[in-house]
Amino acid sequence: MYPLVSITVFLPLLGALLVLSMRKAPTQVVHGIGITTSGLTLLGALQMWSRGVSETGFAQVEQIDWMPSIGAAYRVGVDGISLPLVLLSALLFFVTFIYSAKVRKQPHAFVALMLLLETASIGAFTALDGILFYVFFEVSLVSMYFMIAEWGHEDRQRAALMFFIYTFLGSLPLLLAILGLYLGSETYTFDMRAWISDPPLDGTAAMLALVAMLITFAVKTPVFPFHTWLPAAHVQAPAAGSVILAGVMLKFGTYGIIRFAYQMTPDAFRDAGLVILAFGVVAALYGAFAALAQSDLKRLVAYTSINHMGYIIVGVAIAALATEPAIRATALDGSVLQMVSHGLVTGALFMLVGMLQDRANTREMDQFGGLLKVVPILGWSFVLAAFASLGLPGLAHFPAEFQIFLATLQVEPIAIIVILGIVVTAGLYLRAIAQVFLGEVGEKWTTKTMPDLSVRELLALGPLLLLTIALGVAPAWVLDVIHKTTANWQF
Amino acid sequence: MERDLALLIPEIIILLTVVFALVAEMLRLPRIALAIIIAGLLLATVQTLPLLDVNTTVFGGTFRIDTLSVWAKLILLPATVLSLLLARAELAGTDREGTVYVLVCLVSLASVLLAGVGDTMVLVLGILLSSLGSFALVAYPRDDFATEAAMKFFVFASVTTSVMIFGLSYWFGGTGSTLLSELSRLDSSPVVAVIGLFAVIIGLGYKASLVPFHFWAPDAYEGAPVSIAAYLSVVPKIGAILAFAQIVRDLPITMAWPLIIAVIAVLSMTYGYLAALVQNNIVRLLAYSSIAQAGYFLLGIVAVGTSPLALPSLIIFSAAYAAMNLGAFAVVMVVGRTLETFKGIGRNKPALGVAMVVFLLSLVGIPPLAGFVGKFLLFGAAIEAGFTWLVVVAILNSVLSLAVYLRIVVPMYQKQHDDSSVAMSTPLISLVWVIALLLTIAIGLGAQLLFGQLNEYLTGESLHCATSLSYLS
Repeated sequence: MYPLVSITVFLPLLGALLVLSMRKAPTQVVHGIGITTSGLTLLGALQMWSRGVSETGFAQVEQIDWMPSIGAAYRVGVDGISLPLVLLSALLFFVTFIYSAKVRKQPHAFVALMLLLETASIGAFTALDGILFYVFFEVSLVSMYFMIAEWGHEDRQRAALMFFIYTFLGSLPLLLAILGLYLGSETYTFDMRAWISDPPLDGTAAMLALVAMLITFAVKTPVFPFHTWLPAAHVQAPAAGSVILAGVMLKFGTYGIIRFAYQMTPDAFRDAGLVILAFGVVAALYGAFAALAQSDLKRLVAYTSINHMGYIIVGVAIAALATEPAIRATALDGSVLQMVSHGLVTGALFMLVGMLQDRANTREMDQFGGLLKVVPILGWSFVLAAFASLGLPGLAHFPAEFQIFLATLQVEPIAIIVILGIVVTAGLYLRAIAQVFLGEVGEKWTTKTMPDLSVRELLALGPLLLLTIALGVAPAWVLDVIHKTTANWQF
Repeated sequence: MERDLALLIPEIIILLTVVFALVAEMLRLPRIALAIIIAGLLLATVQTLPLLDVNTTVFGGTFRIDTLSVWAKLILLPATVLSLLLARAELAGTDREGTVYVLVCLVSLASVLLAGVGDTMVLVLGILLSSLGSFALVAYPRDDFATEAAMKFFVFASVTTSVMIFGLSYWFGGTGSTLLSELSRLDSSPVVAVIGLFAVIIGLGYKASLVPFHFWAPDAYEGAPVSIAAYLSVVPKIGAILAFAQIVRDLPITMAWPLIIAVIAVLSMTYGYLAALVQNNIVRLLAYSSIAQAGYFLLGIVAVGTSPLALPSLIIFSAAYAAMNLGAFAVVMVVGRTLETFKGIGRNKPALGVAMVVFLLSLVGIPPLAGFVGKFLLFGAAIEAGFTWLVVVAILNSVLSLAVYLRIVVPMYQKQHDDSSVAMSTPLISLVWVIALLLTIAIGLGAQLLFGQLNEYLTGESLHCATSLSYLS
């Protein structure tokens, strides 16, 4: 058995080094390397998927000593929570590379940074060592900073700086918590498996560590009121950056809440369950209402992300509050599935907005109109993704949100007011579709100024939309993997 | 006597190197002087390796050969070599350039002495030797700026050193000995202990440029040649910090010395970064950043004696700091002294730009670079010593530091208005920053190599704690 997980994690890094070493290579070759490397990484992730997860604990674990004196090691592995996210990340990076094959500005640096970001993302989801996780977590910040600062839109420098400082400030409490968990562990280890199977802290220390971790992951997710960096970063980021930021990097937050906050300080998490639930409900509703107020299409999608991520927080909090294992598993299944659905759907939406912007150089909804007649494929794709995003049955978000709401009703019925968010998002998406794609065609928009999707764009978008439908119609193939871990949930 | 001399071989080699180099300089052969010094320093480094497992003292306990002082040699001597290469690149052909090399070597000898200090007289000797050499180095350009800077430096140093010697006399009066190992006797007379401690904080605080004894540093760095500023910000500073560690190891823990040092750490970190935030001269910015970094070192000092992580973290952060700070200064030598000159450098010289970004992010403490590992261990040590609040402050300052260092990174990737400022690079400077870059990454990923060596010491250290405890009882 070769070390498949490590190969999958570090293959993009190798690709990045290859790109950097070929400074004279033409743009097409550079993008080719990017697509090939991420394609191979996707194959690696698929093979990880076929190897599967185990009923208890982590599967496919690979381990090398790193700093044995302080109990830090290179440890990677997956379980039912992380494996779907690994596959999602590999897929999103692959299609993003196809989509951004048009980038002409410093293609070497762009591809190298994206590949570095891919290693950091997959690494963060597979890391089973506290320090290693933190390393990947921070490397992703650095690469995203340069991504926004270099390839973003008008006000990119400021947005990138705000993103970096805000999320860096947010990530430091996690460092404290990791140190606390380390010093609290009996054998002085950074092994996350040990922290999970035998939570090192209790009482006040656990609560402090929990608060520190929640701050970090709340900034990342983002949860109201820690979300202010997100609209700025998304609006200024290039479309490829937005897809990755929303599709992959926001998942660090919710993944961290489950993996760190919930699993490593379970008692404190349960005690704080109602507060966390309240934050989730507020975030979901706030995101929906804030999205309603936007006229910029990209900001709108960004705010609906806050809404969707809010549901995940609700799901995790409900899981912690639930007393029956079956309900707990339902809530967790829904939450993890929601992460995957959100990655697919929001990834597609940001890509579509990027395609619109490429053509029209604007994202203001009132500038458009009747586009369904001009660009039918783009239009119908947007309609499909928007319907998925508002939770239409048969599309990706429905099975996830349904399970979350089902568990919520059984545990904390009052929290079901969060379902209002669905009504609001339905309203705002219908408004957006009406404004942009229906009605009279604006004079500016002819098939010349606004061509329909090219083959490259179709190739990038197609997989996401197909999977959106597949996940909505038959979610079992993902749920089975998730459920293997959640069915034996110890917390 | 023979045993003592045998253990001091690296120091003796450095001393002989200085003498020979001085002769070469008198014959006006600066290149030969440089070659002698580099060869001598490398030889001394190699001769230090056999001492790695030694934990003893020489000359009646006045000088310590232990992991701290041995690793100080392994870090400071190569750092001196790198600084000398920078100095050669900057000062080649100037009048009396050989004296620079000789003085640098002498200051390094003093710093190495400080890192193994076991006696207050050696402490005074080390600080004086290091200061005298540094004054002359700062004044080397002999223009108004340099002269003024050296004068300020000299006055500041004279006052602080006098105060320190005065305060140390209390310790001598209290213990009847100049040996640091006798300090535990001061347990019953806390006033005397505190007076002496303040004296040491003033003397070493000046040398390590800790707030509020830092005033000389920005001016001195700005007035001096950049390579000398790089050197002063690394070697004498680390020597002083490690001397601090040697001294507090013997202080009775009953007096609240960790708290006093923690307060100075907070002041240094916060003031250093706040002041750096408004600098437009990169040398001054790095001067204030080095003041703040000195504050981070103190996180390890407060944990000495209570956390087994303390000494390893100090050593690893010393190595990390030396690599990343020398690297950053080397890039400044190539690009120029003001923020304006950094505009667009990341586009024109991608490799140099990436290197500078790596040095600066490492100074912030972003993984997986050297600065992260060092700070992470320092944080761990301080938490274990019960100074969680101090770590929280340090972490908040890390955010501030990100803002400071991004002030350099952001213009690097902006469009250049004109290409009038052509960055000048020489093979020597390139060699230095490439080595520093490799070290910054390697120390981050391979800290275990250092740690494995330090592991032996951890057990020795716990013995040390045990003996000082038995003193108390």
